[in-house]
Order: sequence, then C-alpha cells, then structure tokens
Amino acid sequence: MKIISCLIISCAVFYSLAQSDTSVVKNMLLEEVVIREVSFDGIKDQFKNNTQEHLLTDKMLENMSSVTLIKRGNYAQEPTIRGLNAGQINTTIDGMQMFGACTDRMDPISSYVEPINLESISLATGPNGSQFGSGIGGGLNFKLNKAKLNQKYVISGIAGVGFESNSNAFRFLGGIQISKKRFALQVNSIYREANDYYAGNRQKIDFSAYEKWNISGNAIFAVNTQNSIVLDYLQDDGRNIGYPALTMDVSFANAKAGAISHVLKRSGKTFYALETKVYYNYIDHAMDDTKRPAELVPMHMDMPGTSQTFGFYSNSDWRFGQNHFAKIKVNGYQNDLHAEMTMYPKAGKEMFMLTIPDTRRSILGLDVSDKWLVNKKVSLEYGGRVEVSRSEITTLMGRQTMTSFYNDDLVKDNLIWSAFLQSNYKINKQFSLHSGAARASRNPTLQEQYGFYLFNRMDNYDYLGNPDLKTETSWNFNLGASYSSKRVYVEAKLFAYFFSNYIAGLKLDDYSAMTIGASGVKQYSNLNSAVLTGFEVTGNYQLLKSLQFNTSNSFSYGEDGSHAALPFIPPFRSVNQLIYNLKGFKFNVEYIAAARQGHVDFERYGDSKSREFHIMNAGVSKSFKVNRFSYIIRFSANNIFDRVYFEHLDLMRISRQGRSFELNFTFGF
Amino acid sequence: MIGIKQFRINKMKKIILSLLLGGVVLTSCKKEEVTPEEIVTPTTESKVQIDSKTTISNKTVTLFADNTNLYTGANNLYVKVTDASGAAITNAMVMYMPMMQMTSMSHTCPVENPMYSSTLGMYKGLAVFIMSSDSGTWTLEVGVDGESVIFDLNVIESDTKMVGAYTGTDGITYFISLLRPVNWTVGMNDIEILIHKRESMMSFPSVNDFDVVMTPEMISMGHGSPNNVSPVFVSNGHYQGTVNYTMTGDWRLHFELSQNSTVIHSDAYLDILF
Repeated sequence: MKIISCLIISCAVFYSLAQSDTSVVKNMLLEEVVIREVSFDGIKDQFKNNTQEHLLTDKMLENMSSVTLIKRGNYAQEPTIRGLNAGQINTTIDGMQMFGACTDRMDPISSYVEPINLESISLATGPNGSQFGSGIGGGLNFKLNKAKLNQKYVISGIAGVGFESNSNAFRFLGGIQISKKRFALQVNSIYREANDYYAGNRQKIDFSAYEKWNISGNAIFAVNTQNSIVLDYLQDDGRNIGYPALTMDVSFANAKAGAISHVLKRSGKTFYALETKVYYNYIDHAMDDTKRPAELVPMHMDMPGTSQTFGFYSNSDWRFGQNHFAKIKVNGYQNDLHAEMTMYPKAGKEMFMLTIPDTRRSILGLDVSDKWLVNKKVSLEYGGRVEVSRSEITTLMGRQTMTSFYNDDLVKDNLIWSAFLQSNYKINKQFSLHSGAARASRNPTLQEQYGFYLFNRMDNYDYLGNPDLKTETSWNFNLGASYSSKRVYVEAKLFAYFFSNYIAGLKLDDYSAMTIGASGVKQYSNLNSAVLTGFEVTGNYQLLKSLQFNTSNSFSYGEDGSHAALPFIPPFRSVNQLIYNLKGFKFNVEYIAAARQGHVDFERYGDSKSREFHIMNAGVSKSFKVNRFSYIIRFSANNIFDRVYFEHLDLMRISRQGRSFELNFTFGF
Repeated sequence: MIGIKQFRINKMKKIILSLLLGGVVLTSCKKEEVTPEEIVTPTTESKVQIDSKTTISNKTVTLFADNTNLYTGANNLYVKVTDASGAAITNAMVMYMPMMQMTSMSHTCPVENPMYSSTLGMYKGLAVFIMSSDSGTWTLEVGVDGESVIFDLNVIESDTKMVGAYTGTDGITYFISLLRPVNWTVGMNDIEILIHKRESMMSFPSVNDFDVVMTPEMISMGHGSPNNVSPVFVSNGHYQGTVNYTMTGDWRLHFELSQNSTVIHSDAYLDILF
C-alpha cells in the first residue's frame, strides 16, 4: 500500500518530467543549502543539503554539535541538547507542539518527520526569541518544507532510491512541486524498510528492524502581494519497529498533523510580518511483544497510547527605527495524553490499568523579544516569556487511578516565566565576544506529574508521577568568542546551567514494583539544585580552494546538589570532517570519537560507565546535470573499520552499526 | 472503530470551526465540564425477592436478597413482614437461624439478626454462608415474634474466595469474610470485612478484638499496592479499611490477624476479581 503510494508519486514525477521543457535551471527541490548559520546566541539552523533526503532525521541531528541522541533502537532516537532531555527541551514541528504518545519514550516527535519534509532544523540552547514554548535547555524546531511560488518551472520534482548494506535497508522517495504565480503545491513522500542490523564483528542485533512511510504536503495560496494562506499536512506511519534496548517493540506508530496558516508580509513597515497558525495533530502508538521469543516475555501485554494536541500561534515581527527588531508571539495549545496497559497472565483474568490516566495540559503563553543593534560593535538581544498552564485529568477512571497515591486536587494551575539577555561585542573584523544570561523555567511533563507505574529501562524502576512537583527553573550563562577570517572560522563557547527544583526520580522504599523484574518504585521529585556545565568548540578551515575541514567538539558535565552525576550527560565528543571537491565529485572523510564517560551515578540514576570509541566514515558523491535534469549518486562507507562501539546515551549499551555501505541515487528536474 | 473515527473527525471539525469563529482560543482558562461522577450506590428498591411464607397467625414473611442468587460468603438478607390485612409490621422481633443439613451433621453459620430499616421498609440482617448448597441443604428459619417460617436456600459457590476458614494458633477456627455488595474501581476503595469464630456447631459469634494487617497482592504478577489502610474494628465483628487496586484483575487480600500482640493467623486471605 505504502510502496504503491510512493511509486505513484515517483511515477507522477517521471510523467511530469516527460511533459516539461528542458532548459538549464536549478532544481527547486534540490536546492543545495549546506549552510550552518551560527548566530551569537546559540541558535543554529542546520539546513539540509541535497543528499540528506536519504538520511534518517536521527543522522542529521547527530551531526549537530550540541545534540546527542538517546538510542533505544536503530530508529526513533531521542535528541538531547547538551544532555538536557524530555521536558527540559521544547521540540516542535514547524512551531506546532506535538507530544509523543509512548510511555517508554519510544516516539520522540523527531521520529515523525523525515529530512524530505524539512527545510531546516533550528536549535536553541536556552530561552531566546525564536522558540515556540518553554524549556530549560532551549529546543529544536523542525521547519517543514514550503512550496515556492512563481518558479521558472510549473512542475518540478525529485525521485530517489537508496540502499544500505548493513541492515539491508531500502528507501524510495519522491517529491513534486507545482508552482504558479499565486498558487504552489508540494508533496513529498518516503518509504523505508530496514532489517535487523549488525554491530561490529557481524554480531546481529535482534529486534532492530523497522518500516515506515511518510508523506507531507504543503500548499500556498497568495491572496494578494501581502497575504497568503498556507496549508500543511504531515502523516507518518511507522510499522514493526524494533527496540533492542527495551523489552517491547512497536507494532505501529502513526502521526497525523495538519495546519492552516495566514502569512502577512509588509516590507518597509514598522509592523512588517505576521504569521498565524492553527493546528491539530494526533499520534496513535502501540507497543508489541509478540515478536519476542516466548521465554523472554513473562507476560504478554498490550500497551497502546494516544496523544492529541490542538493549538495556535501568532508571531509578529516589528521594526522600530533602524536598530530595533522586535518579535511578539502568542501561543496556546491543549494536549491530551492517554496510555493504558492490559496484561494477560498465563492463568487468571487479564489486568487493566491506565499508565497515563487521561491527562490534559492547556497552555497560553506570550513572548516578547527585541534585537537591538546598539552600535557598530555592540548588539543586544533580550526578551521574556510568561506562560499560564492548567494540568488536569479528564476521566473518572483517571481520577480514581490517581487515588492510589494522591488525595489532593488533581487540577494544577501554574504560571512560569523566563527571560534572557544576550550580548555580542565585535572587537574587530575578526574577533567577537558573546555572553549571555537567562532565567529559564519549565512545567513538569504530564508523565512526571501524573504517570502511573511507568517503567524506566535505564534504572529498572517503575516511576510514579507527582502532581505536587514544583516548576523546574535554571539560571543559564554562556560566554563565547569567535574568530572569523576568509579561510578560518572558529567559535568557542562555555556554558553553565544552575538548576533549582531539578526534577528526578527518588526511591519510594515501601512501594512494590508493578513491572515484573523491576527493582522498585521511584517517584518524580524536586531536587534542590543541580548544575550542568561544559563547552563547545566548532570550526571550519578552508585548507585549499577545494578542500575544507570542519570540526565540532563538545563536552558536558553535570551533577546534582548532592554531587551525584546527572544521567544522559554526553562525554567529550568530536566530529571532524574533510571535504574535497573535484570535478563534480565530492569526497568526504569523517572521524568521530568520544571519550569514556566515567562520571556516572548508578545508584541514583541507573547510569553506567561507557567506553571511548573512534570510528571513520567516508563517502563520495557525484552530481551532474543534463539539461534541466540533475542526477546525484552517493556512495558511502560508515564505520569503515567495523568497530564495536556504543555511545554513552545508548540504552542497555547495545552496540551500534558495524561497517555498512550505502548507495543513494537521486534524480531531480 | 468507524464510530470513533467519525467522532474524532467531528470533534476536529468542531475544533476548527470554533477556532475560526474565534471562540475557543483561551481554552486554558475555561473550566472543563465535568461529567457527574457515576457513584454506584446500592438501590434500595432493587432487592430481589427469594420467597414468601405465611406464619400460623397469617403474617406474611417475604425474604429478599441483593441478587437473585445467594453466594458463599456474607450476604445481606432482608425480610418484609405484613399482617393478614397486608399492612407492614415494623416493630416485630425478627430472628434469623440459618442451618446447613449435611448427611452426618448439621450446623449454622455466622449471622447478624435483622433490624428494621425505615428507608428500606424491611428488616435487614446478614448471614455468612461458609459453604455452598453442594455440601447439603441450607435453610433459613425466620422467627417473627415467637412464630417462625423456614425458607429453603440455594447458596452458590462464589467465583472467588469470599469467605475463608482459618484455624488460629489458639486452636479456634475463625471465619473471615468480605461484606457485600462491592463495587470495585481502580484506585482507593472502602473495604469492610467480618470476622467470626466457631464456638460450637450452633454458635459463631463475632470477634471484636483483633488487630488486622491487610496486604493486597496481584497474584498473577506478584506485586502489591501502596497506601492501603488495614481494616480496624468498628462494631459487631465488622472491620473497616481502605484497599488500593492499582489495576483490574485477580487480587488477593492477605490478612495477618492478631490478638493482644499474639499472631493468631499470619496469612488468612480472600480473593477479589474485577
């Protein structure tokens, strides 16, 4: 079914290709934007380039310097920013709030977008003016591709096919754009299928296969020169996704998201832009243990979950005089989560419970920020956000479930705020200094507030929510310097987050674990304090006209108020790349290394030590154009030396992919 | 499934419509409509008539129960007494005497003699059937102001162990049973148990001086639940507490019974299923 849809799209691409004329022009959907924009307050946009449609979103995230992934399987890895994760960062798709439906965090929302859907990924490392919500450690926004009006070709498109040897993975992708003066439409789709992968030394990792299908569409209607209406639709259907690090797999993970927006652009005016969007998304997710050998499944369980969110935002851009660029944003959403579990004992009646007892969160927030170009040397960006929220339980059974451990009012209202000031001082043409301070805060997640015996594979404990959790807050500081010349760009950055009311699980001694084999029960609680600090050094060096060296290095160190090491903190990690261009061939060699992480606290957080690793990747791609057609072929070898390795954030220390060869072909017109 | 999908689409349409009308932007400030909680209270009218008998002086004695059947364990038993003209008698002296006639012997069971309840318009008492009619013949003799009628009863084995007989360290046999009716929900539930002992085949008085420690267990998984309140003595062999069911399924309630700090029985239990 999905394959067929993909084929239909690909066929449409080829069909339209035969119809269109053939002069030389840049292909719309293959626009090569390989830019890494580094702005002074740590917002980064990672633009995709023309070979990235084949990658998994995970791979794109992995190459961003502050991002490390929590790995549970070969698919749907969960991004962390400097080790901050889950509710501490704010992840959105095109500004839309979306929340994974899985109680075991199997479906971070980054798993529901594909590079082919994306225009860019923007990353923030603390509160700033470019986000869509509250978070301690900033967040990620996956900006969806937009159809472009008024292109030279009414119809353009791409089609591609790729193969990866290690997990016998195939993908088929296609996209098409119709572009008229006042109307444009883009539809793209990808189908992926992967079998179990092999770690180094050809060690097979069972239950690591996956299959997915994704389609997204975007339409733009230009009402007049200033106003346009934009429609977005995204659908992502995952099937039979294996999670070797967990005790269950996923039978399906389906997401649907739709949005309608109004965009106003008025160049030269004080109030020069306004974007208002109304959206809805729905995630349906079901875990599955039927593919596991019977002796590993003490009891069969069904664990479905749903998440639905509807909301809106309205962003306005203002320019006051020559030096002030202000943004005012209002956003609101309502998210409903439901997760349940039915257990089937070999003898006796089945058991049923709600693990997320029909929770709801409604939020309304206001953001104001201003970028002030004080003079030629100094610029400041400052602003803040206030957010009111209500958290509650919407069903009788949900409320009754909570009586198991909580007797007070379950409706919780909260007001949180954040503020930031970031300065940039240009010493001379080459050197600049940046520094900033922010006060950040976040609501507990609904899982942290109302979760009911949620099993955490990392520390092997069942977790209970805590409706009385206080707002987690932090003071964030950063200090950086950058040097930029014609051939060299280097940036170094120090950061620190000082937490109050840090949310972590603490043991409840007189509670017995619900999950078979779990060590006990923990409840989310506020720790007085915690600190996260570290540095990042990134740079690129144009060695020769056609030879470039990129490097990205990061280190984080975290501990709580009682000097216990925080979990999920990546050790020193370095990604280095040499890129060489020759006659349409592009060669790249990549060296990735991470130090060992010995600063862990098994007792409190279940985190264990991890070893250092070094791996090498290399690739070559060739692109050429014949008339208006372009062809890109890319061959790459990953983990060339077939190393057995895992990263510190990989759950259960399951080895990553060993040597693999990848061949991708993309055709555009 | 189609119904749910349709509902969802309708709901989405409604959401979009209301947003377009500018209605529901500030949902976070709107108090959600709470559906009235469905508290299931036993309805006083819904007693089921078991049988009706007439005394020598032409009084009609009608026996009612909570369900069509009587089960092993504690059962509420109600009688309505009317005189020859059909007028209700509300101040009679009513007594229950259940009796199990087995092949070689006969015995009674724990019983609570009825009291008149004006809300019910009936006399309400209770019997704890300690075995089913499979073992012999159950009868209930109802005495009304010195006269009596005898009902034949059919007691069915409960699905789960609702009454247990346990021999204490003092050599006495104790009966622990769960007061019906029960409307279990996930979460916290009020629970009332009854404790009686066997003095003789014809006497099963209530036990009023036990200390009870209750521990629920999900038997098919081996886990318990937190925050239970062990039943404490209220009156006449009744002990009230709070039980926490974290999920539906087969629960076993373990009771440690002690008297003056001496453990009488360390693991008496009853089984729950919902």
